[in-house]
Amino acid sequence: MSDELDRIRREMHSVLQPEGVRPDDTLKITRRTFIHGSLIFGAATVGQTFAWWPLLNTLDIAHAAEAPFKFAWISDTHLYPRSLNTRFVDKVVRAAQEVQAMDPPADFLIFGGDLAQLGKIEELELGVDLLKDITVPKHYIPGEHDWYLDMGKKWGELFGQPNWTFDHKGVRFIGLDTVSRAPDYWTAKNMTPEERMGHMATLDGTVAGPWAGVGRDQLDWMEKTLADWDKDRPVIIFSHNPLYEYYPPWNFWVRDWRQVHEVLRPYTKVTNIHGHVHQVLYNEIGTLRSIGMLATSWPWPYAPEGVPKLTKPMIRVDPGDPFDGVGWSKIDVAATDEVNTEYVMWGRKEVFVQSAADYDKHVSEVIRPRIADNMWPY
Amino acid sequence: MTTRSKFRLSLRRFALLGGIAIAAIVAGPSGAHKDPVTPEQLKAYEAVFMEQVRKGDLLFHGDQAMAEQLGVAEDLSKTGMACAMCHPMASDTHPQSFPKFQAQMAKFATLRDMINWCIEKPNQGVKIDPESEAMKALEAYITWSNTGSVLQPGKF
Repeated sequence: MSDELDRIRREMHSVLQPEGVRPDDTLKITRRTFIHGSLIFGAATVGQTFAWWPLLNTLDIAHAAEAPFKFAWISDTHLYPRSLNTRFVDKVVRAAQEVQAMDPPADFLIFGGDLAQLGKIEELELGVDLLKDITVPKHYIPGEHDWYLDMGKKWGELFGQPNWTFDHKGVRFIGLDTVSRAPDYWTAKNMTPEERMGHMATLDGTVAGPWAGVGRDQLDWMEKTLADWDKDRPVIIFSHNPLYEYYPPWNFWVRDWRQVHEVLRPYTKVTNIHGHVHQVLYNEIGTLRSIGMLATSWPWPYAPEGVPKLTKPMIRVDPGDPFDGVGWSKIDVAATDEVNTEYVMWGRKEVFVQSAADYDKHVSEVIRPRIADNMWPY
Repeated sequence: MTTRSKFRLSLRRFALLGGIAIAAIVAGPSGAHKDPVTPEQLKAYEAVFMEQVRKGDLLFHGDQAMAEQLGVAEDLSKTGMACAMCHPMASDTHPQSFPKFQAQMAKFATLRDMINWCIEKPNQGVKIDPESEAMKALEAYITWSNTGSVLQPGKF
C-alpha cells in the first residue's frame, strides 16, 4: 500500500470509526452456540485458541419488533439457461422449497441480486419462474449480472424500480441499487453489450474499474427516506455490494461508501445485509453493521487481505460438493427485539465457521493483479 | 585382457574425467557448454513466459477465442463455469502446496492433476492433455499469480 493511500485510509478510519463508537450495545453479536458434542469437545480441547462460532449472528435491535416475524434472503443464483447448467437451477429450487416450507412462514423474501449470470432475458425469466412458488411477498434488488447486458431494461420490466423502502412491524427497510451507476467505460471502447456484460461479470476484472456505487441522487433519496425516522429506531438496508471498502482489487466494494456512511451516521441501529461476496462476512464501521450472505451458486474464497477483523471465516469449502459453502439465510426478528441472521449452508450437518480439523491448514498466499485485461485490444 | 590391465584402464578413464571436471571448475561458467545469459536473452525468456501467462489468464477466465486457439474449446467447461469464477486472481489454487495428497481425488496429485479434476468436476468438462500448451499456459498463469507465496509442498 502506498504511503498516500495508507494516510487516506487512516484519516477515513478516524472519521468513520472514532474510538469507542460501535453499533449500539444492544446490537452486538452474542456468541450463541448449537448444542453439539463436537462443540463441547472443541471447547474443551482448544479453548480460546480459536473460536467455535456457529454461523449464527444474533443481532439485538431495540424497538424492532412490534410482533415477532421472520424474513428470508436468497441471492447470487447466477442462473444460466437450464439447457447449459442445471446445477445452479437445482440449488434455487431447493432454496425456494425451503423458504416456502418455513414454519412459521417468512413475512417476505428479499432477493439480493445476481439472479442471472449474463443478464439474458431467458436467465431472468428462469429466475422468476423458479421463485414463483414462494408465495410470500418478494422484494428484489439488482446485481451487476442482471443489469449490464441491456442496462436494466428487462430487470425494470420484471421488478420495477431497483431501489425502494417500506416499514414493517417497527423496522424501516431500504433496498439500495448499488449496480446501475458504473462509469461508462464501454462507449469509447465500442464494446458490444455482451462484452460489457462479460467485464462486469468478472470479479477480478480490471477493465470496468471500481464500478459499484450508490450515486449522489440515491444518497439524497436515502437521506429523505430516513428524515422522518427516529434516529434510535432500527433500519435494515439491503444492497447487492458491501457498503465498505472490502479488497478493492476485486470488484466487491462500493466506491462512494464513505458518503453512504455520512448519510447513515446519525442513525444508531443500522444493519446492512448484502450479497455479492458469496461468503460469511461481518464488519462494523461506526454505527453500521454489515453482514455478507451466502450465494446459492458457488462460494468465493476470502480475499488474501482486508477481510474485516470481526469476520470469523467460514470453513474451507470442499470443491467436490456442489452444495458446500452455499445456501440461503433466514432472519428472525423475535418478540424480545432480537434479530437472528442464520446461514442455511447445505453442505454440512453442523455449520461452524472454524473447525478443529482444518483451522490450521490454511496455506498463506500472495496474489498478483491480472495483466491480460490490459493487453486486450480495447 | 588381464584383470590388472582392466584396472589400469579404468584408472585412466577416471583421471580423464577428473581432469575435465577440474578444467570446467577453473574455467568457470563461461568456459562450460553454455554462454553467459545476456540481458536481451533474459528479456526474451521473460517474454515467452509472460506470453504463456497471458494465454493462461484468458483461458482461466473463460475466453472462448483463446480456448479455440489452443484447441480446448470443447473441453474446458460444459456448464458455463470458468476457473476464475471460484478463483479470482487464481486465489485458493495454492500451486505452492503441490504435489500433495488431494482429498477429493484420494491420491497424491500434481497441480496438473488438480486442474484436470476441476475441469472434470465443477466444470463438467473433459480432461485435457497434461502436456498440452493449454495446460502449460494454465499452469504458468496460476503459478505466476501466486508469485511470492511460500513454498509448502505437501501442505493440505
